[in-house]
Amino acid sequence: MSIALDQVTKRYQDQPVVNDVSIEVGEGEFFVLLGPSGSGKSTLLRAIAGLTGIDHGRISMHGRDVTHVRARDRGVGLVFQNYALFRHMTVADNIEFALRVRRMKRAARVARRKELLKLVALEGLDERLPGQLSGGQQQRVAVARALAHKPQVLLLDEPFGALDAKIREELRRTIRAVQRELGITTVLVTHDQEEAFALADTIGVMNHGRLLEVGHPHDLYAQPATRFVATFLGAANLLLARQSADGIRFGATPVSAEASEPMQVGREHEVVAVLRPEEVEVAVTREQLSSNYIARGAVEEVAFTGALERLRVRLLDEPCAAQLLGSGSPAEARVEITRTQPERRELPLLAGAHVTLGARRLHVLPTPISSFLACAPTEAEAEELSREPLLESLSTRMKTRIGVRAIDGLKGTPAPLAGVAAIAAGDKAAATVEWLLKHGAAEVLVLPRNAPSPTRVYIHWSDEAVRRATLAVSASLLRHVSAEAVYLGIVPEGGQGTGRAAPMRKLLDARVEAQQRHGLEMRTELAIGEAVTEITRNLSAGTAQMLVLGITDITQAGTAYRSLLAAQPGWPVLIVYRQPDVGLRSSPEIAA
Amino acid sequence: MKVGQREPNVIPGFGITLGFTTFFLSALVLIPLAALVLKAGGMDWSRFIDVITSPRALASYRLSFGASMVAALTNMVFGFALAWTLVRYDFPGRKFVDAIIDMPFALPTAVSGIALTAVFAGNGWIGQYLEPHGIRVAYTWIGITVALTLIGMPFVVRTVQPAIQEVQRDLEDAAETLGAGRFYVFRRIIVPTVLPALLTGFTLAFARAVGEYGSVIFIAGNMPMKTEITPQLIVIHLEEFDYAGAAALGCAMLVISFVMLLAINLLQVWGRKRLMVSR
Repeated sequence: MSIALDQVTKRYQDQPVVNDVSIEVGEGEFFVLLGPSGSGKSTLLRAIAGLTGIDHGRISMHGRDVTHVRARDRGVGLVFQNYALFRHMTVADNIEFALRVRRMKRAARVARRKELLKLVALEGLDERLPGQLSGGQQQRVAVARALAHKPQVLLLDEPFGALDAKIREELRRTIRAVQRELGITTVLVTHDQEEAFALADTIGVMNHGRLLEVGHPHDLYAQPATRFVATFLGAANLLLARQSADGIRFGATPVSAEASEPMQVGREHEVVAVLRPEEVEVAVTREQLSSNYIARGAVEEVAFTGALERLRVRLLDEPCAAQLLGSGSPAEARVEITRTQPERRELPLLAGAHVTLGARRLHVLPTPISSFLACAPTEAEAEELSREPLLESLSTRMKTRIGVRAIDGLKGTPAPLAGVAAIAAGDKAAATVEWLLKHGAAEVLVLPRNAPSPTRVYIHWSDEAVRRATLAVSASLLRHVSAEAVYLGIVPEGGQGTGRAAPMRKLLDARVEAQQRHGLEMRTELAIGEAVTEITRNLSAGTAQMLVLGITDITQAGTAYRSLLAAQPGWPVLIVYRQPDVGLRSSPEIAA
Repeated sequence: MKVGQREPNVIPGFGITLGFTTFFLSALVLIPLAALVLKAGGMDWSRFIDVITSPRALASYRLSFGASMVAALTNMVFGFALAWTLVRYDFPGRKFVDAIIDMPFALPTAVSGIALTAVFAGNGWIGQYLEPHGIRVAYTWIGITVALTLIGMPFVVRTVQPAIQEVQRDLEDAAETLGAGRFYVFRRIIVPTVLPALLTGFTLAFARAVGEYGSVIFIAGNMPMKTEITPQLIVIHLEEFDYAGAAALGCAMLVISFVMLLAINLLQVWGRKRLMVSR
């Protein structure tokens, strides 16, 4: 491995800006760190360069631990967005800076400089001052300067940010060519997905200080595992669909989805599906569709963008529209469509036209949290619950929806429950959880009033059979909150001595699974004693804590764990329930 | 480009502004200076030479320009350090220190002169500790330099401050990743970037020190040949109603100052050319 980051965390004023990030960059690989501004990507790059210390974790380069090595001894070249050229020095002096520092002989210096200027196609500009060069040329000089001392790693911090589109593309090509020619391991930070696609061998997507997904550009685009990556890498329509053994249904109609693995689903449940704008087929009637019908709609907006035409279509059938995840309320949700010019010529459309939409390809996200359903005795109370700050912030960050449901008296059989049920903490919580689980809910979030966004999430399960599901739910949750994950393993008292090795192994297994399947860095703690007591002790030890609890027995919520669901002192508890026989072999969670 | 044909500006009228500039420059600077030269021209040549080359006058030039130079150089070093501290560090009382820098601007110079004398005199707060070690400050050239340093300090700090703000952290970071140590970064990156501003500050502090009178006369002691600055000598001539002699000394000062300032300015132009061809 050329660069290896191991659980790197960097905090500013106690807020993690880089949260438990582990990355491995191979020799000669072009790795692009992609994320919105404030996602922590630049801080991470500075940490790799050695310009920013880290609070936790390890950074190694070519097998050498450089965590505490100063920037100037790390052997990296860094290129900044604003070029950071030394303005009082000529191009030649700028490029030779690193060589002068190393007291290289003049002849060797000049030779190296000529070589570098040729590499970045700036021959003959040696004696110019940076102020006499265009932005693109200055950045080329900066690249040459960063490569002068033959660093083992090249780091680029939004290098094209200050350049206009044409120059940007030209420089992009140069950098790619230089990187290929030298075979130098490169990490580039950007917020521009197009840039990431054009340059990367591997893309790592960051948000809220966490590394969400790492993969080949094409794989990340075609099969994202998270909502954030689906919508950040290119445009995406997110749909709430229902999945069962028979396949996927959107609204009333079955749609065939391209799933990465065959689904092994016990019972029908809600999933989030990604429909790329270019995968939507537009026709006048249902019969003309060559792909699976999804809905009817009215064209609201037609925009010409050169090679592609963009359409915004409002769905006409209400139930379908309600299943479309948009930016705001269901009424604002629109399907985004792009069509190529040949497609447009075949069926020219104007705003107001009624159309039929089909999905050529639908990707189901493996995320186990599809949406939230606030449940309370009355509709008004449910509405109020849906406005709980924690619930609102979770749904905003997950770009999903909070439904409301009145469940008065816990009688009868409710309409099918979808997504994570949310209920208020309190005396009745245990009974409600039991009732919800009995009627098909798989996850229940118990919320005390005004719970803050957690900074630490404890994870615990009562039975190994529910481990996989609990980890999947935890990972999905933790991708959207900047909190630390701690797995709490609890060994009953008296089981000490000989029985110590087994729990330790379980602990490690859990950690490895969290990391490998979900990219979730998780601390582990082992406690000895009675489960609820130990959990309560840990939850009480700090503020803004939360619990994810995996159970396999519906009645456990009402008995063993009852005290955790109280309104006072009150912690948010996310209960994950799986039937033990289903849990192990055929849980719906796929590796993220 | 033709003279006067510029891009439209916020303040219109090239003609008006140029006229205004010329008028004020004439009324406030050129005409008084011309009068000075005329007055000095009223005396005959040999006496003029006698006045400006008398041993007492020569000693006063040496003191005036020498002390001013030392003070300005001192300010360059400590003013830079002060400005650096103010820009780069955040500490309790930073705003207060920042405000205090301007005090010498506002204080009547005589007040600072008296205050300094009181502090540095043999029985003063600081003087009483220095005197036993053989360091006399008040009534020596050292005292004069101290006074001139105080007067010039804000000029350096205020001109250098924005320049230091402009030294982007990125430049230092870039140099560091290229293998440079701290001292190397300071010498090769920071100093050259700040140098033009530093020179401007130096010039201002120097010019101000040369012309300073109020604060110096209190701490100098004004002993002829020893601690008598040229402005003091001019005042002495005036008190003897020897206006022509005073004017002659004034002319001599004018010429020396002009030559020195011109030299510094040329140095600066050269430095700026190296630094920011287009910015």
